[in-house]
Amino acid sequence: MARPLGPVRLKKTNPITLLIGAVLCIFIIYFLAAPASSDFSKARKSTAASHPLSPPTSPFRKSTSKKGKVSPPPVARYNLNNVTITSDPIAARENVLILTPMARFYQEYWDNLMQLNYPHELITLGFILPKNKEGNAATTALQQQIAKTQKSGPERDRFKSIIILRQDFDPPLQSQDESERHKMQNQRERRAAMSKARNSLLFTTLGPATSWVLWLDADIIETPPTLIQDLAAHDKPIVAPNCFQRYYNAEKKKMDERPYDFNNWQDSPKAQEIAAQMGPDEILLEGYAEMATYRALMAYMTTDGGDLHQEVPLDGVGGTALLVKADVHRDGAMFPAFPFYHLIETEGFAKMAKRLGWHPTGLPNYKVYHYNE
Amino acid sequence: MLPFASSGSKVTPRHHVSGYSNGYPRGNTFELSPHRFQPRLNSTPAGRRRRRFYLRLGALIALGLFGLYYFFSNGAVLPLFSLGLLSGGEDFELETVRYYDLSNVQGTARGWEREERILMCVPLRDAEPHLPMFFSHLRNFTYPHHLIDLAFLVSDSKDRTLEVLVENLEAIQASEDDAAHYGEISIIEKDFGQKVNQDVESRHGFAAQASRRKLMAQARNWLLSAALRPYHSWVYWRDVDVETAPFSILEDLMRHNKDVIVPNVWRPLPDWLGGEQPYDLNSWQESETALALADTLDEDAVIVEGYAEYATWRPHLAYLRDPYGDPDMEMEIDGVGGVSILAKAKVFRSGVHFPAFSFEKHAETEGFGKMSRRMGYSVVGLPHYTIWHLYEPSVDDIKHMEEMEQERLAREEEEKEKAEKAQKIKEQFSDPNSQWEKDKTEMQNIAIKDKAEKASKEKVKDTTGSSPKQAGAAAEKPAEKPAEKKPAAKKERIGGGAAKVEET
Repeated sequence: MARPLGPVRLKKTNPITLLIGAVLCIFIIYFLAAPASSDFSKARKSTAASHPLSPPTSPFRKSTSKKGKVSPPPVARYNLNNVTITSDPIAARENVLILTPMARFYQEYWDNLMQLNYPHELITLGFILPKNKEGNAATTALQQQIAKTQKSGPERDRFKSIIILRQDFDPPLQSQDESERHKMQNQRERRAAMSKARNSLLFTTLGPATSWVLWLDADIIETPPTLIQDLAAHDKPIVAPNCFQRYYNAEKKKMDERPYDFNNWQDSPKAQEIAAQMGPDEILLEGYAEMATYRALMAYMTTDGGDLHQEVPLDGVGGTALLVKADVHRDGAMFPAFPFYHLIETEGFAKMAKRLGWHPTGLPNYKVYHYNE
Repeated sequence: MLPFASSGSKVTPRHHVSGYSNGYPRGNTFELSPHRFQPRLNSTPAGRRRRRFYLRLGALIALGLFGLYYFFSNGAVLPLFSLGLLSGGEDFELETVRYYDLSNVQGTARGWEREERILMCVPLRDAEPHLPMFFSHLRNFTYPHHLIDLAFLVSDSKDRTLEVLVENLEAIQASEDDAAHYGEISIIEKDFGQKVNQDVESRHGFAAQASRRKLMAQARNWLLSAALRPYHSWVYWRDVDVETAPFSILEDLMRHNKDVIVPNVWRPLPDWLGGEQPYDLNSWQESETALALADTLDEDAVIVEGYAEYATWRPHLAYLRDPYGDPDMEMEIDGVGGVSILAKAKVFRSGVHFPAFSFEKHAETEGFGKMSRRMGYSVVGLPHYTIWHLYEPSVDDIKHMEEMEQERLAREEEEKEKAEKAQKIKEQFSDPNSQWEKDKTEMQNIAIKDKAEKASKEKVKDTTGSSPKQAGAAAEKPAEKPAEKKPAAKKERIGGGAAKVEET
């Protein structure tokens, strides 16, 4: 039927259309006004540093206003007498710094990190990556995950602060392949470079507020979610869990696990004898048939169904997973890149800590798992 | 449908019957706004009611949504209406991710041109008296201030070190002149419970050295690990009690482009001690003797330099100074002193620190030098580029100075006495005639008396002759002026003294 002639647009408006319009308007206004709402809550904002020149373990306020010149940094006072290190770190709201030297990015590593149930607003992550092709790829992958978590993830999942460093020296080996990496003659160079990477990461990120430092290698893909609390509960200066690796056991036709990290050990007279005959620049290495040291390895101390919290004293530690009281590092215990008592890197670190009066402890039945290539 | 259709006409006219041919009803021509929107009149009461219901429903939903938003955003309504343009005091976002490339902060010879940041570390303990001097140095540094980050460690201080420090730093940061402002300023407070006294004697006593150096090393490590950032290219260690140093010292040391570099440190002395003296004996080159000595010591022993107990025969940077030598001359060293060290930050990043244990038989800054060498870094001293440490007298010096002071006082006393004596002699002998006159008259008097006595004796019989003589003498004495009497009494002594002088 022909519409009666007359002025156009005088059709009756459907109220539903109106309603949809209104809702749309509200949404538009909401998104116009709310880009800031993806930011952090008041509590987190109040603990942030007021200037970009600040300890990297805390986030800083990035001014969004263009007007006005930047004011000089304030005089910041940090009372390290008040930085507690207790066996109940959550109750005391103690800051944990998780440090990871990274050559390759494993998604499982990040997923495992995310499932740690220590409050994320107390965790600062520090990464150091080499400046080569592999390192660039790992950085890109890492930054993607970080952006996902820190920008758009729920606030509960977001970490307090994240520091990404790029190494200022080339890694000595082009390949990070398992077989190449573990060749004995390559070990010393590789571990010296590793020491420098660890120290660079540690001493530029430690800052004045950290209570605990957790060293966690990039290829640790499975830990209990309560890792930090469990290790801290022992209240020891240096605590090393036992590092295992899951693999497919062809004989038993099922998944099995085997010890992985052999750098957690107790010294033996034989090893000291070998060391005594060495030149000043030679190092003792563990896990090589050419050099039988007869040290007691924590990797073999584990017992099925044994007490999770059984402690053993250690003389050498591995770096795959290691919880260290920040005071140990502040006193100067670092990862020697040179033979220190014929030890290097994490083993040298254990020795140096002992020289400073801090004694490492191992947990033979508390397991973390290494990636299997 | 048009409004006028309701007037009963069945045929839709091609043109409006009345009014303007613009589709609007005629209405009242004299109304102010004849073209105003007119609600359609054909809606039924039911339709109107329905519409009102929808309107209310819509309003209710809008209100509900707004309430929800209000509830979840913790009452931040303002940005909703201001569209983010009018945000109040909190015009910032949190930045939680930091990215640094360490190959950009290696440190070069001309760091000020590349805007390289320096971390300046100053350990402090009961240092209040030295702070004004320190800040006078700080204000005058020629290296761009905004590129210098300051870090102080205040430990176990009982005086007002912290308060004075904060006041001064805040004054600098609040100053009108932008060029005066420093970069990041951190004050670290940490008490190590040091039992060692900080006074000069206990500080430099041999027995206390090892444990003192280890505690100092610990303090330095705490300071560095809390203050070092990924953006630092250089680290400069400076003691608070440097009295004189060039304002351009940062550039001067940086120009050499060495991993670790120290100037020569001397101190001025009072003249009686020779005017000046090498101060920092911790900068030295290793010697065979010292290495052999190190092998004989046990694991925890610390060799300290500058004590007779350990004769190391090392060439010291301090003793090689020539006041007229080339200030740019370099010398390879193995141990370094901590008064003023410029090091590339990469040295500390790679793990070199101040060993708080015996590292190759050394601790603290000397151990730092040793460890730097172990890691293959260049460690260099400048023998002819000198800065001056404050002179603080040691207990021996103070004792010596007290003795000297007493000697001086004694000498002064003596001199004063001598002067007095001379004065008196002068007074006494300035007009010797008067005395002679007096004596003469006295003698004459006596002679007269004698004569008179003799005369009286002759007159009177001699039995009572002595008493008038005594009475006469007694009567005469008060007549003498006391002022005259005293010098007269002294005169003998002076005369004796003078005689001695004459004898000599």
